[in-house]
Formats: sequence, structure tokens, C-alpha cells
Amino acid sequence: MAAIELNGVQKSFGTVDVIKGVDIRIEDGEFAVFVGPSGCGKSTLLRLIAGLESINAGEFLLDGKSMNEVAPDKRGIAMVFQSYALYPHMTVAQNIGFSLDLKKVPKDEIRAEVEKVAEMLQLSELLDRRPAALSGGQRQRVAIGRAIIKKPSVILFDEPLSNLDASLRVQMRAELQRLHQELAATVVYVTHDQIEAMTMADRIVVLKDGEVAQSAAPIDLYKRPANTFVGTFIGSPRMNLLSASVRRSSDGSVEARADNGWVIVLPDGFSAFDGDRIKIGIRPEHLRLVALPAAISAKVSVVERLGVETYLTFNHPKGSIVARLEGDITVKVGEQVGLEVTENACHLFDSSGASIQSG
Amino acid sequence: MPNGSAKNSASVKSADAAAYGVLAVISLYCAIPFLWVFIASVDSEPSQFLAWPKEWSLQNYINIFARQDGFLWIANSLIIVGSATLIVMVLGGLGGYALSRSHGWWRRPFLYTIILIRVVPPTALIVPLYKVLLTANSVVGGIVRAVMPPDLVRPTMHIFGFIDGYLGIILVLAATQLPLALWIMKTFFDTIPRDYEEAAVMDGATLMQTIRRVLIPLALPGLGAAGLFAFIIAWGDFLMPLIFLSSAELQTLPLGLFRAYMRVNQLDYGFMTALAVIYTLPAVIAFGFARRFLVQTFGGGVKG
Amino acid sequence: MHTPMVETTTGRSSPMTLTGYQRRAAWHLKLLLAPSVLLLGTFVIYPAFYSIYLSLTNEALSGPAALNPRFVGTRNYVRLFSDGGFWNSLLVTFWFVLGSAIIGQFILGLVSAVLLRRPLRFRPLINAIILMPNAVPEVVAGFMWVGMLAGGEHATLNKIVAWFGIPSQNWLVTFPLTMIIIVNTWRGIAFAMILLTSGISSISHELYEAARMDGATPRQIFFRLTLPLLMPTIFLYMLVSTVTTIALFGLVYALTRGGPGGATEIIGIYIFNQSFTAFQLGFGSAVAVVMLAISVVIGIGYVRLLKVQV
Repeated sequence: MAAIELNGVQKSFGTVDVIKGVDIRIEDGEFAVFVGPSGCGKSTLLRLIAGLESINAGEFLLDGKSMNEVAPDKRGIAMVFQSYALYPHMTVAQNIGFSLDLKKVPKDEIRAEVEKVAEMLQLSELLDRRPAALSGGQRQRVAIGRAIIKKPSVILFDEPLSNLDASLRVQMRAELQRLHQELAATVVYVTHDQIEAMTMADRIVVLKDGEVAQSAAPIDLYKRPANTFVGTFIGSPRMNLLSASVRRSSDGSVEARADNGWVIVLPDGFSAFDGDRIKIGIRPEHLRLVALPAAISAKVSVVERLGVETYLTFNHPKGSIVARLEGDITVKVGEQVGLEVTENACHLFDSSGASIQSG
Repeated sequence: MPNGSAKNSASVKSADAAAYGVLAVISLYCAIPFLWVFIASVDSEPSQFLAWPKEWSLQNYINIFARQDGFLWIANSLIIVGSATLIVMVLGGLGGYALSRSHGWWRRPFLYTIILIRVVPPTALIVPLYKVLLTANSVVGGIVRAVMPPDLVRPTMHIFGFIDGYLGIILVLAATQLPLALWIMKTFFDTIPRDYEEAAVMDGATLMQTIRRVLIPLALPGLGAAGLFAFIIAWGDFLMPLIFLSSAELQTLPLGLFRAYMRVNQLDYGFMTALAVIYTLPAVIAFGFARRFLVQTFGGGVKG
Repeated sequence: MHTPMVETTTGRSSPMTLTGYQRRAAWHLKLLLAPSVLLLGTFVIYPAFYSIYLSLTNEALSGPAALNPRFVGTRNYVRLFSDGGFWNSLLVTFWFVLGSAIIGQFILGLVSAVLLRRPLRFRPLINAIILMPNAVPEVVAGFMWVGMLAGGEHATLNKIVAWFGIPSQNWLVTFPLTMIIIVNTWRGIAFAMILLTSGISSISHELYEAARMDGATPRQIFFRLTLPLLMPTIFLYMLVSTVTTIALFGLVYALTRGGPGGATEIIGIYIFNQSFTAFQLGFGSAVAVVMLAISVVIGIGYVRLLKVQV
């Protein structure tokens, strides 16, 4: 049982405010991912939860109990470091069993626990090796083993896969999810990789400049970004953003005239006044080609043919647009093509960037 | 390259020959004094000059222990230099760690002070140091005379005295070697990621446990280097024992050798050369180990 | 991004905001440094400042002043600057540093470093031989060379120079300053060689290859490429070796004890003789303060050269 609650948590280093009042709730057993660009404070937030940094203001509750003044090792929290921090002078078994050894647990008991953990992580053959003699993936698993042997109610991961190569990363992603199910512990996982976040998380917390931009399930984040930051951060290629003005016709229909000349019909219930400035977010995958003449036409600037899909870029001084099209499309650079936006796929934001999506 | 390979290899050969010629001269310059000391030490009729022995003998070495207090000198040197080295390693390790991890305002001035201390010549300090030790010695002397029976005062002062006693010279040697050790260890700990300590904290280790179980094993190479340098310099130091030790019971190897060849009218070259070899050997061995750290020590400031 | 960017640039929490475990940790760090501070304070820093005070007194080891030292103001300094012995020791020290550290050790060290870059068969042996003098304790070094340089036609150096038709002499009496320069050069080749070797090997191999593609001869490569790129290392060497050579005592003391007639009385020996042979602690301190000032000036140069980032 371990639900995490951060209430108005603040942290500053000297005069620099790194965490500016964060409220997050993570349910027991959830796999939560903190994601955001470099310097957004996600690692600091993790270290606050670990107890490696102290909280300046606000409160961190674990199952309703304040942890602010509790020592790191008394919180029932384990952490997997980005560098793994495996002690180079100890064997794999000693590394994994170190916390038990410090608690003066009898040697044979430690050995039994270590073997159990090692089996779960397929490390049984490697127990007598030193970290220097292990591959990156094996080190990663030892670091995880060291965390789970403490039977923590919360496990923290600080960009654990960033030191692995691409194929190993995919494999470890699956393995971490399996472990999460087996251990039934709450996981807080920090990454800057949105694919990791989307594939593994029950809940994603997007952080920006020390504040929560949005906290939601992955698919909600994709479908209903709370602001342009989340909208452009999640999804690849990134969401196209068009600045536009709202036009209400006398017949009641509402349309947006984008600065690059595109005209997009807005849903009926949309509440905005004539002349309002808004931002329209269109994901590249929500654009498709149509025959000319069409409501929207544009000149192709770049063609990227990946085989399974094709990216078309339309340069414009008021903002370039990328379209992501299924299959191999044979259009030429300079060609004029017609485009159409998938119905109800536009994300609308006010001029400050907050979502104004109708109900 | 236009040069044919034949011409190339010929020019390489002649250049190599020239290099050998120059290096041979330098090597002879470096080696001849050693040849004399070593050969004379195993010569049954040693002289002050380099000459091939008529008869080899280990008698000179035996004499050091049989006819003179060789054991005592070696023991004194080992106790004094060994203790100073140990103190330097412990304080250097702890202090270097603190300097590496701390962010207090005092850190920067402290580090600059250490660098400046390293350029202070020991000879510039001996006078005030002598006065300081004289004061400390009379304080210790007063205490010792008050608590010890009169016949034990002298032996006790040989251990705890600041002038003509182990304690004083050990602390002085340790203090002169400490700045380098602090610098080496600070630089060394800078290369050890904090993750290790934080992982230990998460594992529930106390500060002492972290130091003993994690930091000391990780810092062993650095501690080894710091200890080697402290040992080599303190072992070779002549100034401090010359000023602060006078009793025959406290004589160390450098004093023993120096006093032996200052006795102009009764020079025993066999004895002196054998003693020189014994005195040199630990330094040369330690130097062999320390060599690969030598550059880092002086360039160490660059990385800081 | 494992530690937040701000952390590395601005440092950790200010002391005001530390709580619990962190405040304890900061306190622990000071505790770990305390013994070092105590030791250095007592035996280095306090004496260094105390020497300034002593230099303003007539403190002595014997005579009436020993019992009742008085404050004499700058009298020691006035005497110092009109004292022939002091100026002599400064001059001797200057020639000694110039001859051994700046010229002798440097040139032989550079030659050895450059030549030993070749893949010669006996390289490890030659390397070890050159290193030996640096490892030997100063008294042993002095003792060795007293033997080498002794008078009489059987003496080792006299036998060697006899091949070249040079008459025997008592070298430490006829050429005392030159001899201590030769001995200290002998002792310090290794240090110059090690430092310069590391400097040379840090020069990118591609630069040499590029120079060869440009048609540079080995001599041109040395003077136009190696030497200029080596300049920072050379400066570093000059500073470090100057400071250590000024501080030298045991080697020269064991060789000549400053004689004959002050010909080898480098400043360290001068201080020792004034303080512990003539027992004038106050005057000796004044010399020490001058020496301290010279060393600290060079030391500050050293700090600035290294651009020490602490």
C-alpha cells in the first residue's frame, strides 16, 4: 500500500526555484512516469520523494503520512540510479544484498533473498561477478535487484534506460512492466523519452519549468492535451500549431482563419467571440491528402519517404506544417496538393496556450 | 612520402644510434653514484671511490646491525615516517572527501590556502615551528613530570615530547605532507559520482558505514597515491630530524648516515654505503609505485 | 539529465533551507575536515604568521635576548638588507635555481623525454635509471656525490676527467657552486622528464601526421610544433621546479653545509645557519619572511597559470 501525494511541494537551490508548487497524486500500485524536457525539475522531484533533497515548502505524503522529515532509508522507498551506482568493489550478490547486510541480517538469509531476486531478474549465473564484468543490460538488472530486495512500497527510477542501446531499451521496457506487475509496487519513473512514457505508464506527469503541465493517463494526454506544451511534447512528429482568428458567420457556423491562410471549420458548440485569437493544434497524423481543388491547398517543401509512412513538410513563413501519411506517397517537392483535417481532430487553445476544447 | 622504405629504415637506424649515444651519457651520469654506493657496500675493502671489489662480502650490512644501532635507526625511521603517513592518509582521506562534497563558503579559500601552503618552503617555517614546539614541549613536560615517576620522565618525553620526541616530529611531518594529500584526495573524490553515496543512503547506511563500506574501497587508489607521496617525502626529509631530534635513542636513518660521514677522521665507507642502500631501498620501491601518479599530482589543479 | 542543471551551476541548497538528514550531512563534512584544519593551523599557518612577529623581535636561542626578547621593529630587516651574507645567499640561490632547475634539469629532461619517445629496446631500463636519482633521499644523494667529487687522483670524477687530460682537483672546493648545480641537475632530470613526457604525449598524433603531410622535417616538427604546444607544460615545470629548488635544504647541506666560505649557502641553509648555528631566531625569521614572500608570489603565479578551478 503506497499512495503518493505531493501537496504544494516547492524546492529551490539558492535563488533558483526548481519546483514551484507541485500537486500530484499517484495511486497505490500505479506506474507513474515523470516526463519533461531537460531542466523541468523531474529528477529533482524524484530526489525529493527519495529524501535525497529536502522539501522547502509543501508536503510529501506516503499513504497519508508526512515523509518530509523521514530519513531516506526509513521511507520504504528504493531507487534505481541513472548511472546504476553499482559498487565496483563488490560482487553482484554483495551489491544486491548490501542493504540487508547493513541491517545485520544473517548471511544465509541474505543469500536466500539475493538468490530469489537474482532468479526473478535472470542474474543467478552472475552473482559472483563484479559490475565491471557485466554488460549494460546486466548492470541495469543488478541495479533493479538492489532496489527490489528491500521490498519497497515505492520504487523510483531515474532515467534507467538512458545508458542502453536502442534494442536493449525496448527489451528492458517490457521487462520493467512485467516486474511492476509481479511486485505490485508503486513506481515513479523519470524519463525525457515520451515513447517510454507512453508505453509504460499508467499515469504520465508532464512537467514544465518546475510545474505540472498535465497529469493523466497516456491516451488522455494524447487525446486531450491540457495545453500547447503537452500537445506538442507528446506525439511524433510534434503537433502542428497554427495561430488563427475566430470568425463567426451570420448563419452560426464558426471557422478559424489561420495566419497561413488555412480555413478550418470549428465544431458547433465552440464558445468564442468573433475575432478571438486562438491556436489550433493539428497532429500530423490527422492530415490527409485530397484531390484538388480542396479547401486547403499547400506546396510541398520536403518529402520524407520511410516506406511504411511518408512525412510531407509544407513550409510557410507563418508556421510550417508536417503531415504524416500512411504508406508510400509519391509526391514531388514543389507540387501543390490538397489537404483535409480529420473531423473533430483539431485541438483548440486560447492565446495563452490553455486548452479550450469544447466539452 | 617520397622517401623509399630502405632510406627510411636506414635513417631511423642512425637516429636510433644517436639517441642511444645521448641517452647512454645521461644514464651514466645518473647511474655512476649508485654503482659506487652499491658496489662499495658489498666490498670487503670498500673505499670512497668506484672500484671493482677484490672480495665480495655482506659484512658491511651485518656490521650495521651487529656493531651499530641499525635496527634502532630503521625502527625510528619507520615509526616516525609510518605514523606521519598514516595520519596523512586518514586526515587527507576525510578532509579530501569533505572538500569534494562541501559547498560551504569556506571551501574555496581553504583550497587556495592548501595550494599556497604547498609552495611554502619548510626552511622558512623552522624558526617559528621551533618556538611553537618548544612551548608545546614545556607544557607536555610539565604534565609528564607531574604524573610520572622521575625515572620514567625521559622515556615518556621521547614518545610524547614535541622537541626530541616522536610526537612532535610525527605531527610536523604529517602537517607538511597533508596539503598534497588533501589535494590528491579532493581531486580523487571529485571523480567518484555522488550516486554511490546516495545509493548507500537509500540502502540505509550511516555516515560511518558509507565511509567504511563504500568510500574507502572506492578511494583506495587515491589513498594509496597520497600515502606513497607522504611516505617518500617524509622518508627522505632531513631538515626536520636534524632540528627536532637529538637523542641517540631517537636517531633516524638520515641522521645516522649524516653523522657517520661527518665524523671525518673515522670514516667507514662500508658501513656508510650499506646504510645508504638500506635507507634508499624503501624510497626507491615506493617511488616505483608512485611514479604513475606523479604527473596527475602536479597537473591535478588543471582539472580541479 | 540526471542531476538537475541548476544544481550543478548554482550549488546545493543554501544552509537556511536544509532540513534533517541534509543539515546533519553538512555538519558531518565540517567535522571531517576539522582535524586537518587543526594540524595545518598549528604547524603551518600559525608558524607562518608567527614568523612575521618573530622577525620584528631580537629573539635568540642563547644570550640575554633568549630570556627577555624585545620588540625591535624593522631593525632585523634594516640589518638584513645591508648584510653581505644575505645578498650572497640570494645570489647563490638565484644561480642555483637558474643553473639546475631552469637550465640543467630542463634541458636534460627535455632531451630524455624526446629521445625516449622512440621505441628503443632499452627504453624501460634507461627510464628506470633516470628516475633513480629522484627517488633517493637527499642525504644519500649528498653522501654519494661527496664521494664522486672528492679530491685525490683515485676519486671517481678525477679518474673520469683524467681521460680528457684534466688535472685532478677537489671539486667541491674549486667549483662549489657549479658542483651543487650538477648534483641537483642529476637529481631532478626525472621530474622534468616525466612532466614533459606527459605534455608531449598529450599533443594529438594527428597534428604530427598533418605536419608530415605538409612536408615538415623532424627538426621543423620539433621547433615549430612540439615546442610551442609544450609551452604550458614548460611554464608549469619552471614554476614548480623553481619553488621546490628554492626550498631545498638537505641535499646541499649534506654536500657542503653552505661552504666553502658561503659559496653554496643557498637561502635555506642561510636561514638554518643564522637561526640554529648563530642562534639568532629573530634575524633568521626576517630572512624566512623574505623567502616566504618570494615563494608565495611564485605560488600565486602557479595558481593563476593552472587556472585552478576549485
